[in-house]
Amino acid sequence: MATDTTHFEFEPGFTDNRLRVVWYAALAVLLLIGGAAMILRITEGMTSTNLTSTTPWGAWVAFYIYFVGLSAGAFLVSTLANVFGVSGMHRVDRDALFAAIISMVVALMFVWVDLGRMDRMYFPFIWRQLTSALSWEVHAYVAYIAVLVTELYFSMRIDLARVAERGSGLRAGLSGLLTLGRRSTSEASRVTDRKWLTRAGIVGIPLAIFLVHGGTGILFAVSKARPYWNSGLFPVIFVVSAVLSGTALVMMLYVLRTKLFDDEPVDRDLLNRLAVLLAAFIVVDAALTGIEMLIAIASLHPHEVETWAVILFGEMSWSFWWFMVGMGWLFPLVMLSKREWRETPWLMVLAGLSVVIGIIAVRFNIVVPAQILPVMEGLPHGSYFPSLVEWATSIGMIAVGLLLYTIGAELLPLTPLDRGDH
Amino acid sequence: MSSSNDDVQPGVPAVETAAMDAMVEIERADPREELAKTDHDTELGIAMAEDAKRVSRGDISAEAYWEKYDAAAEREFGDAYRETPNPSIQSTDQTIDAGTADSLSCTVGSIESVACEIDAASADEMDAATDGNRTRWGMVIDLQKCVGCDSCTVACKAENRTPPGVSYNVVMEEEHGEFPNVTRTNVPRPCMQCEEPPCVQVCPVSATYKMDNGVVNIDYDRCIGCRYCMIACPYGARYFDFGENYDDEVEGAGEITSPEYGVDRGKRQDGESPIGNVRKCSFCTHRLERGEEPACVETCVGDARNMGDLNDPDSDVAEMADSTRSFQLKESEGTDPNVYYLK
Ligand code: SF4
Ligand code: SF4
Repeated sequence: MATDTTHFEFEPGFTDNRLRVVWYAALAVLLLIGGAAMILRITEGMTSTNLTSTTPWGAWVAFYIYFVGLSAGAFLVSTLANVFGVSGMHRVDRDALFAAIISMVVALMFVWVDLGRMDRMYFPFIWRQLTSALSWEVHAYVAYIAVLVTELYFSMRIDLARVAERGSGLRAGLSGLLTLGRRSTSEASRVTDRKWLTRAGIVGIPLAIFLVHGGTGILFAVSKARPYWNSGLFPVIFVVSAVLSGTALVMMLYVLRTKLFDDEPVDRDLLNRLAVLLAAFIVVDAALTGIEMLIAIASLHPHEVETWAVILFGEMSWSFWWFMVGMGWLFPLVMLSKREWRETPWLMVLAGLSVVIGIIAVRFNIVVPAQILPVMEGLPHGSYFPSLVEWATSIGMIAVGLLLYTIGAELLPLTPLDRGDH
Repeated sequence: MSSSNDDVQPGVPAVETAAMDAMVEIERADPREELAKTDHDTELGIAMAEDAKRVSRGDISAEAYWEKYDAAAEREFGDAYRETPNPSIQSTDQTIDAGTADSLSCTVGSIESVACEIDAASADEMDAATDGNRTRWGMVIDLQKCVGCDSCTVACKAENRTPPGVSYNVVMEEEHGEFPNVTRTNVPRPCMQCEEPPCVQVCPVSATYKMDNGVVNIDYDRCIGCRYCMIACPYGARYFDFGENYDDEVEGAGEITSPEYGVDRGKRQDGESPIGNVRKCSFCTHRLERGEEPACVETCVGDARNMGDLNDPDSDVAEMADSTRSFQLKESEGTDPNVYYLK
């Protein structure tokens, strides 16, 4: 799309057109499946799920907290560059922010389908309850999305202005709109942007850690009726595994976009840095989960011990051993153990993907096991595996997220035009 | 079959009213014998009773009646007569006018004023202005009397017309260790209508809340169906309405619904509340409001379930809840249920 009259080339997006077609076609298939399932979900109501009154929360809630975590994690990685000024990280900060926004959008879609009355989704903004963690959460999410958008704006504005000024076509027009009229590309305007970027980041960090993701953990932890969740360590583990999945996502996106969109060599130093960070988070996450388990078991509280027995040896223990321990911790740790491997882009994509999938199992293992044992003896035991409609709608909503991300990455200067550090 | 039998209804015995009146006469105690059992004047009693019948028939007026007997009654009953309020003034029937009332030697007052005095006295007893005289509905279930027949569960289904998968009341038939002296027992479980309900605390839209009468309400028109309250309830008392019906089992299953919390929603319809909402036992609020006991209490074959006002110290339930046999489920949760059990 670049014209000969300008020497400015701005063509993010797939360098290989065949790949583009294949990718969009794949997304289209997933969206169709998801769309069909969504129609079933709406017409049949909650009977289309495998949820029961014993196990009222299932896959959708697990995915919801998963995406909130992914978002909080990705955002915290972005603050490494924007607030803490870790060198070499500017290359990934917009990507991280953009992924964080998309994750929140997907998370809110999951909350929405999960409501028994989807038509009443705006009610929490009309009626509130001061003692309800959920009531606070929905407000925190809105504030958090606002911070993310502000961050992305200040991070990207100068490049948007450049594209609007020198580029042409759809991208330039869109970029012009997104600058919101601040079109200066001067050094002074860059400094102003940086200042506000840091400020918004400082507001965002406590918001993300304590209100958004810690708060989501609190949502579960305050439930005294479920001893497995009712633990002070719980929200902490929530945040750590969030940061873990966010780092893995950002690392994966960095390699994929650099290779497939920018067609540039991957910065091995940056990759190594992200990989070491990831390894550290895995260790902390595994250690905290271990401590949590030991405390639970040592407490000899029958409900807690039995819930852990369900996780470790129950019907669904494969998800714990294969996905959570295997894909979430062991496999990536091995991949991350040698510097040579850490600097090999495709191995790191694999490690990142493995963590991103493994953490899904972590979320499922948070939500479901606590609802298998009845709250009182004599009440029925639960048993839950998501129904086809639940899986298909989930895939569809994830596909919406991927689609939004791809379109954004194709149109916006997510990679800094000056390629990062200054 | 013949035309003379027109009034006869199937299953109703054909008895003349006169015959029934005669039956009453046979049952009625002989006034003379009855009055002889008291220390008071039998003749005066008979005379007053005869004249009272005349007042009923309208043969003499209430004023004339009291003027006739005032002196005799005072002589016979003394202080007791003077101090007991005679609530026969200004009610719609059988009343005496204020002038006559003044001339009587007994205390007179309207029904209303007498009732107020009684209320004030009991309110004083309760000593706290905090609870005032608001009712706090409570249930006491005697586990020694419960035979585990599940009639309550069935009565509740019939009364509240709950769909498949929703059962406001269940009888939990295994319970180990919670009660020192038993290893196996039947524990009926309605909603506990907790004084500190965790379900209310977590609802993001305040759709579920505690009413003045102690019952925890769910506003089906506000509930968004997030099911957080189900997660929070330590008693598993809440159920999600998935929209299923008993259509295969019963014809016209959804034709009528129960006016839960006093709201009549007509037919059960797809996509309409309470489908997609969370539901639970309401202590049959709609029945309480018309002075009836909850369906489970009324139906209980072992008379194990009792309903009443826990704020009234003289009520049966308050006394039972105070007894040494009484306990609440999961007391350690701090929810302070309004359902008590007797072990
Ligand atoms: S028993 Fe459960 S639903 Fe009923 S008031 Fe208590 S917490 Fe709420
Ligand atoms: S399901 Fe309804 S009543 Fe329960 S917490 Fe959610 S909105 Fe409140």
